[in-house]
Amino acid sequence: MEYTRRSVLTALGLGAVAAATGCSASSGNSQAAADGPVEGEISLLTPLFEGSTGKDLLEGKLLPAFKQKNPNVTVKVDYTTYAALNEKITTSLAGGLMPDVVMLGVGWIPPFAHKKVLAPLPDDLAKRYEYEDRVLEPSRYDGKLYALPMVLDTRIVTYRKDLFAEAGIKAPPKDWAELRELSKELARSDGSGKLTRVGFDPFSIDLRQCWETFLFANDGNLFDESGQQVKFNDDRGVEALQLFLDVIKDKSADYSFKSSAGQPTTLQQGRSAMMMSNNSLWVQLKQQTPELLKEDKVGAFILANKVPAMLQGGTMVARSASSKHAAAAQALVEFMGTPESILPTAQQRGSVPGVQDLRTSDYVKENGFVKLALDNMSKARSEGGTAAWMEIREKIKTTLETAVVGKRTAREAIDELANLSKEAISRL
Amino acid sequence: MVSTRDRVRAAASGPSAAPPRRRGLLRARRRAGLLMVAPAVLHALIWIGIPLVAAIVLSFTSYDVLTPPRFIGLENFRDLLSDNVFRRAVLNTSIYTFFTVPVAMGIALLIALMLNTQLAGRAIFRTAIFIPQVTATIAVALVWLWIYDPRSGLANAILSFLGLDGPAWLSSTDWAMPAVIVVGIWQGIGLKMLIYLAALQSLPTELYEAASVDGASKFRQFFSLTLPLLRPATFFVFVTSVIGAFQSFDQVYILTDGGPANSTTMMTYEIYKSAFREFRMGYACAQSLVLFALLLFLTLLNRRITGGDRATR
Repeated sequence: MEYTRRSVLTALGLGAVAAATGCSASSGNSQAAADGPVEGEISLLTPLFEGSTGKDLLEGKLLPAFKQKNPNVTVKVDYTTYAALNEKITTSLAGGLMPDVVMLGVGWIPPFAHKKVLAPLPDDLAKRYEYEDRVLEPSRYDGKLYALPMVLDTRIVTYRKDLFAEAGIKAPPKDWAELRELSKELARSDGSGKLTRVGFDPFSIDLRQCWETFLFANDGNLFDESGQQVKFNDDRGVEALQLFLDVIKDKSADYSFKSSAGQPTTLQQGRSAMMMSNNSLWVQLKQQTPELLKEDKVGAFILANKVPAMLQGGTMVARSASSKHAAAAQALVEFMGTPESILPTAQQRGSVPGVQDLRTSDYVKENGFVKLALDNMSKARSEGGTAAWMEIREKIKTTLETAVVGKRTAREAIDELANLSKEAISRL
Repeated sequence: MVSTRDRVRAAASGPSAAPPRRRGLLRARRRAGLLMVAPAVLHALIWIGIPLVAAIVLSFTSYDVLTPPRFIGLENFRDLLSDNVFRRAVLNTSIYTFFTVPVAMGIALLIALMLNTQLAGRAIFRTAIFIPQVTATIAVALVWLWIYDPRSGLANAILSFLGLDGPAWLSSTDWAMPAVIVVGIWQGIGLKMLIYLAALQSLPTELYEAASVDGASKFRQFFSLTLPLLRPATFFVFVTSVIGAFQSFDQVYILTDGGPANSTTMMTYEIYKSAFREFRMGYACAQSLVLFALLLFLTLLNRRITGGDRATR
């Protein structure tokens, strides 16, 4: 009995020590300065550069160019996906092995900067190239610049011009009332009343990002400027969610009617006349259904209700505050933020380049959706804006989905989400 | 000749009762025994004991991995009581376990009985049935994603052939859980079948011969001999299956992401989300302890009901 008690106490002590060690290694409080020699072996964690073509681009072209400019720096790359990026960062931090340079999504800067995981960058980097203010907004926290934008992914509405012409529709909808009307006109059902073509497909992109696009087009906000107050629970947020329910009620959309991963989208298959899309759809069209582009059957527009707005996501590059080779890490951040790195990266993914300087590049001119996004960058809005974003973003889809499947009203789902968000913010 | 019972009694009475030479032998045996179990005990202490204690300690803290843990007492457990999604996850996990474990066990036993006969090509059947067990769940889930595709999937193609209109399996709150359960049953059969088959092959044939002589039918033999004799195997299969079902994660992660509207979220999936997506490690530890307590309770309950791994005499 004595032995058991002692062993339990010993293990408890060990557990506490293990926990404390994990924490001290991960606290990341050191505000590493980027001075010193540009040398050493640094690590890069990236959700970009997927597959062998991405790897070829990064390790065959970009990093050799970086090495040429910084011969004393070696870069070790850790590839991941956006789905696994969180786990990678969490486990790296817990193990005290935070990568020197990390690529993050829009909205991720405030949570990590708030916890001092990222190091601020010199503010003059924000003036190196021509940036749209909206693009740099997600890179800042507390007045400081923490990241440089690389590639952007916007959410736009794509539509089938041939189906519009067939229905005698001349122009895309100007607001949601028109959107619903056109959607009803364009939807088709079989004899049993089962939808064979939806007028509008809002479900082929992530529900969270789609609702945010609706919210911004309804002139709403997620949070106030301080990131401490929830703002989406006003009528604009509820109406944004209600739009999903309305198009389902109109029988011009269906929650089960969405594109499968890797397959041609509902728009490409002619099973939807309008679809909420990522601008990277252009590349998919070129690869899977080039005839639609050749015959000019696909168009795109910016969603509008009270204001025109598109959601701007994307990938930014930042430096870890705990990097032992801060100067080398910063050199890599600066290099990845140059047009020379950004253009091939954007091209490979069909993304929007993060700098306006590339607006005149052949890539942008040839890619209709990217051009539309860059021309309308002043209408771009980003998700995030609070240090509690990592927790809140996980709640959005699951909470809003309860309304979409008819388990709750839009108001109830938004109120629930607001409560969860307030709790998350209160824990900061 | 000294019986085992006598040996145990002698050992229990302590060294003072045994002559000096015997005492030395007992000590040597004890040392050898301790030495042999030491690696397993050490392994359990390092990889189970320490994480378990750390999880208990962290469950009383607010810990986001980015900053040091802060002691908050029972707050995580209080939050758990009002967490509707976690409550839903407990219910979903229970439903999943309730359906997958008995159904898969029943099918596995049936297949094991068939494969225990002189069936032609039984090695091929055995391998085919075991394959899902050793195939990566990610690959399995991707195949099932296609099977459940409402437009081009195999499930709806079969239903359509039968003149039935198939549902949108994974997008429907009514059908998503049954769809996940079917995958769970299919994937769990192989290992259970193998354990049952091994147990069946070790059953004493003389009992069956005696039963045949007494005129017992095959049906009677199954219920009066096979099932009672399989009790230790059943206990083992049941306990490991319940634990496995409570820990199922990958199917949900790939097939439904816990949706739609949390209709397929599981306890392990919520723990994963809290820890790695929401950076609430302390809360995830509290959720893990609830899972641990539930599994402990179910195992003890099962042990009491079935009499544990004691064979029927």
